[in-house]
Amino acid sequence: MVHHDAGGTAPALRADRLGRRYGRVWGLRDCTVEVPAGAVVGLIGPNGSGKTTLLEMIIGLLEPTEGEVSVFGTTSRAHPVARLARVGYLAQDHPLYRDFSVADMFHLGRAMNPSWDQGLGQARMQALGIPLKRKVKTLSGGQQAQVALTMALAKRAPLLVLDEPVSSLDPVARLEFMRDLMASVAGTGLTVIIASHVVSELERLCDWLVVLTGGQVQVAGPADDLLAAHRLLTVPRATPDAELPGLPVHRTDDGQHSTVLVRIDPARPAVRQRPGWQADPAGFEQLVLAYLQRRPRTAAGYDTALTATEVTQ
Amino acid sequence: MIWVSWRQHRSQAIACLGVLAALAIYAIVVGTSMRTAFSHDGLPACLGRSQGTICQAAVQAFTGEFGSAVNIAFYSVLLIAPGLLGVIIGAPLIASELEYGTWRLAWSQTIPRTRWLAVKLALVTGGLIVLGAAMTAVITWYRAPMDRLTGHFLQNIYDYEGLVLTAYILCAFGFGVLAGLLIHRSIPAMIAAFIPWLAIRLVVEFLLRSRFLAPVTLVQNCAGLCVESGQNGGTGISAIPPATGHIGDWVLSIGGNAQGTQTVITYQPADRFWIFQSIEAGIFVALTAAALGATIWLLHRRSA
Repeated sequence: MVHHDAGGTAPALRADRLGRRYGRVWGLRDCTVEVPAGAVVGLIGPNGSGKTTLLEMIIGLLEPTEGEVSVFGTTSRAHPVARLARVGYLAQDHPLYRDFSVADMFHLGRAMNPSWDQGLGQARMQALGIPLKRKVKTLSGGQQAQVALTMALAKRAPLLVLDEPVSSLDPVARLEFMRDLMASVAGTGLTVIIASHVVSELERLCDWLVVLTGGQVQVAGPADDLLAAHRLLTVPRATPDAELPGLPVHRTDDGQHSTVLVRIDPARPAVRQRPGWQADPAGFEQLVLAYLQRRPRTAAGYDTALTATEVTQ
Repeated sequence: MIWVSWRQHRSQAIACLGVLAALAIYAIVVGTSMRTAFSHDGLPACLGRSQGTICQAAVQAFTGEFGSAVNIAFYSVLLIAPGLLGVIIGAPLIASELEYGTWRLAWSQTIPRTRWLAVKLALVTGGLIVLGAAMTAVITWYRAPMDRLTGHFLQNIYDYEGLVLTAYILCAFGFGVLAGLLIHRSIPAMIAAFIPWLAIRLVVEFLLRSRFLAPVTLVQNCAGLCVESGQNGGTGISAIPPATGHIGDWVLSIGGNAQGTQTVITYQPADRFWIFQSIEAGIFVALTAAALGATIWLLHRRSA
């Protein structure tokens, strides 16, 4: 694939105290994240956590109430067209015009995007065995998702944003879609943001992680760095939080023991041990689940989210 | 973008052509027999020499035969037809994108959504103008013999000849597009757009139209034979020619003076037809522009 315009040295995505209010309710608040070009970001959060709000502000479909978000240095206020050109978007439920043929959809893509890559679209359809003449409504859900993904890829934008791309697909179609997605972005230099509420789908694909709950970023950073900065401790149930090494993220009490995910200083990874304690490296899924279950950040005892700037890259 | 708009509205365009073809076939079938009867009854010669006064029986026979086909059957349908046509095309233009989620696809392409909308509106508006003009031409041709007896100012004639028919369609279309953006669902948006359209349409027709220009007053001395006050105003087909004695005048009122020696007629002269058409079309085109302008502005601001 062709190397994409990465917009110079600007980060692929930079959100600075980004917030969006709907009436009196904040859909997203105080979101500060910086994602380098080439990252494949898993944006994880339960339904209603603000994922779509964040994505729509990244794309430029929604303006922030406060703060700012830029994509390769462009904000939608200052450069609305340049911004749209830099993001390929696969919306939830992969919307397509049902009475269009696949060829019509591609014609639309070509008409609405100067950088449209017709060859890429046709090659993908051929590889997936989807005839261009077929009407969208006669395609299976998995095939429709593939056509919609192809629309986003053929736009040739350096940032690809996928909102719950597989949530409406059956398990086989999910697997095929994710496999194809991995193959499609590998080695392209594309920056990808995939929103999902299913953690397991993202583990193999993503090298970057943003966990969002209640409209707030709980943790964000490169997956490897985050894993290195956390340990899963098993301690006697009576152990108070204050005696734990590092910052407890989430604690589960179970019989005689408690399982606690703690954030440690990655520069000093040797967790001081006590008899009866057990320290294990944290897994991707355990880490994400711990942050998803963490009490709201406003509660006493928790500092600000662990953000990219705190994690050495 | 032109291709995209065409592709999305292709089936509507074909359906509109179908409606137009059906109208044209009806017009040719009924219009041809009307023309034959018109010549057969000797009406052209009669109208050439008078305002229909020397062939009252022939006029009555002709209007008796064709009056109902022209006026009643058509009128109730045609009163709401431009509104229905406009809202059916207008309401889904944005509402269907919001309904089916395709707005996320359409508005995340490189072309900004305001340009997307502007091109669509320009194309569909242009198509509706062509459609409205074609329907007007068909109806005008079809009604031509009857119009020679009645003029163009009667409600059910005035509304479908000249400029206003197209303007009615455009106005309903504009209301439909705006309602679609506000309501997000096609069918409720059609209803929400149609009701104000019909209200404005009826208010303009029955309250405002006769006041577009100050009427002309005609005073006739009548030496004991004055027309009684409250008599048929002469705007119906039964009164040919109208009380002014001139075909096509729109008689608003007929009354006597206090002494009973004069008849006072107020009317809009037939030659004001195009001025009135322009004023009324102007009102509806202005409403269209306001609705479409508001839509573009709201869509531009929608993200904020």
